[in-house]
Amino acid sequence: MQLRNLTSPSGRRRGLVALAIAAVAAVGIAGCTASPSADSTSSASGTPLTIGISLSLTGDFADPGKAAQRGYQLWAADVNAKGGILGRQVELKIVNDASSPDQVVTNYTNLITQDKVDIVFGPFSSLLTIPASRVAKRYGYSFIEPAGGGPKVFAQKLDNLFFVQPAPTTNGGDVFADYILSLPADQQPKTAAYLKLDDPFAAPIADNIQARFEAAGIETVYDQTYPSETADLTPVVSAMAATNPDVVIGGTQSLDAFGIVKAMIQLKSNPKWMFLSNGANSPVEFPDKVGAANTEGVFTSGDWYPGSTQPSSAAFIKSYAAMFGGDANSIDPTSAEAYSAGMLLEQVADKTGKVDNATIISTLHSGTWPTLVGDLSWDKYGVPQGEYLLTQWIGGKLVTVYPDASAQHAPMAPKPNWAG
Amino acid sequence: MHSLIQALILGILTSGVYALMASGQTLIFGIMKVINLAQGAFVVLSAYLSYSLLTAWGIDPFLSILITTPVLFALGVGIQWALLRPLHKDDAAELSLLVTFAVALGLEGLLSATYSTTFRSIQPGYENFSWTVLGYQVNAVRLFAFVLSLLMLAALYLLLQRTKFGRAIRATVQNPMAAQLLGVNSRLVAALGFGLGAATAAAAGAVFGIITPFNSGSHYDLISRLLTIVVLGGLGSIGGSIIAALVMGVGTALVSALASPIWSDFTFFVVLLLVLLLRPQGLLGAKIRGAL
Repeated sequence: MQLRNLTSPSGRRRGLVALAIAAVAAVGIAGCTASPSADSTSSASGTPLTIGISLSLTGDFADPGKAAQRGYQLWAADVNAKGGILGRQVELKIVNDASSPDQVVTNYTNLITQDKVDIVFGPFSSLLTIPASRVAKRYGYSFIEPAGGGPKVFAQKLDNLFFVQPAPTTNGGDVFADYILSLPADQQPKTAAYLKLDDPFAAPIADNIQARFEAAGIETVYDQTYPSETADLTPVVSAMAATNPDVVIGGTQSLDAFGIVKAMIQLKSNPKWMFLSNGANSPVEFPDKVGAANTEGVFTSGDWYPGSTQPSSAAFIKSYAAMFGGDANSIDPTSAEAYSAGMLLEQVADKTGKVDNATIISTLHSGTWPTLVGDLSWDKYGVPQGEYLLTQWIGGKLVTVYPDASAQHAPMAPKPNWAG
Repeated sequence: MHSLIQALILGILTSGVYALMASGQTLIFGIMKVINLAQGAFVVLSAYLSYSLLTAWGIDPFLSILITTPVLFALGVGIQWALLRPLHKDDAAELSLLVTFAVALGLEGLLSATYSTTFRSIQPGYENFSWTVLGYQVNAVRLFAFVLSLLMLAALYLLLQRTKFGRAIRATVQNPMAAQLLGVNSRLVAALGFGLGAATAAAAGAVFGIITPFNSGSHYDLISRLLTIVVLGGLGSIGGSIIAALVMGVGTALVSALASPIWSDFTFFVVLLLVLLLRPQGLLGAKIRGAL
């Protein structure tokens, strides 16, 4: 669960404009008629199984887009090494949408109608997943997508969509609330402070925790939303620190998360618990930006991370290193999420002996499906029914501390004071 | 009360950095009537230079100022000589806007290509250290930066007031024609003055890079702040820009801490509008030319 949408301030404005254009384009397309049949291609053994994907290889989402590309490519190489799917070699057709919701519509339309790919997988970000999933729906294609988990994706109520993460992105912090509220009443925090980045993928995570905490009687002593342009968060943190809260919750992306931590260190603000929705889940950047010693005790959440105990994780890390080099820490969770999209397809084929879109859609709607990012299941509109893992920085590493069934370590509380 | 005073301390310390950046901006305007839209890019460039000096050779960012200042000075002189000097006199003021903006975009592109657009921060290792004074936290870097800004501004003041070169600059500001008649090489003064303005960005950049994460696009935000500080202070007045930087630094910190960061920039613009309505020449801007 990393940045899932428009993170850069400039990209955001452009993104909105692009969204408007895409909305118009989507309406235009929906207004047209005539659709080629989705299962027009043969599924004879021996012909390759083509999978079409539009990814942001340039533009605002270029970094995560390329991470998704690595995940897809790695999965294709792994599955082909095992003999492919139902004896058919997997062939990826990846096209660049330059992070544009306009281009993504064109790309999926071309992949489906002209290239006549057998299957499509999702692009990066909710912004692009929304228009892309509509195109897939229109042509009767299943839409397994690893990186569009915003509320607007599910508000479309598409029955062909499957989000390949444990829960909707905005529920990323629910597991922290579960953990805190599982503590005996006398050990729970009495006061909480909330710092929220004004972003559809950051603030709602903190809002959801806040609703649970307030219902449980944990008093809100500070609640502030800041715009993404806020270069210096120190004044906000100074006001927050003055309220001396037991627990600090940050609905953050990345830069702001680092800024909050640094300001708290400078202001010697030491809460007993601290949760950051994003930023702290980056195994390399977080220690690099705030100082390794200052990570100790910070909570965050995630699906796949280098220390993941999912059975397939070790093999994934090994083949990733063989194909792209680097160690586990260099793997973006987005790669694991994209890889997991492929794992789902593989399992559907194994279970049913078929890989047509109608079978994929009907099959995934029941049962639980093990992937790198957890055991997944969905409601009828593709909303994943699981929960993220609560992870905490302990001894310089991210480890799972909750829920108990997956925990590698007991949660560390209270958080030690900042090292400085 | 505690959070008010803490915010006040933060605001005052931060404003020193902006005062330093803005003094260069206002100096350039004072001498040449050029609004230098590249000043923000100069600051970002300096931040990158200090970043590289630290990461490559372990040179402390405060020490790196000794290296980056001459570099920025030379760059400023070069840009003035190559790009601004040839402009036709009658529309030099308008054209210089475009030229300096082009310089800013060019620098942004170069920096993006060299460093990618990933946000960087200068981390000398003591960036989060703060002293506890009467229960308030005083961040060491911000305090160093504030003191450094005062020193640089004092040096700038002495240079302008006590040296022959300074007198030549002031003369050029007051009346370029008369200065030229009295033997001042106004072309040289203009080039050196532009270099001097750019050089102030070196120190500001090092400090800015420690306090805030930056990337090549950070100059847009900076230049808008600098322009408002310079206008609020009175174009061409270094004293005015220091006061305006204080107004902005303290104002935004107070509003962020006591109300919401959403309103902090807005509040500053309200102050700016009020000042412009009541005192169009800015806080210390003189009605006569030559406010330095």
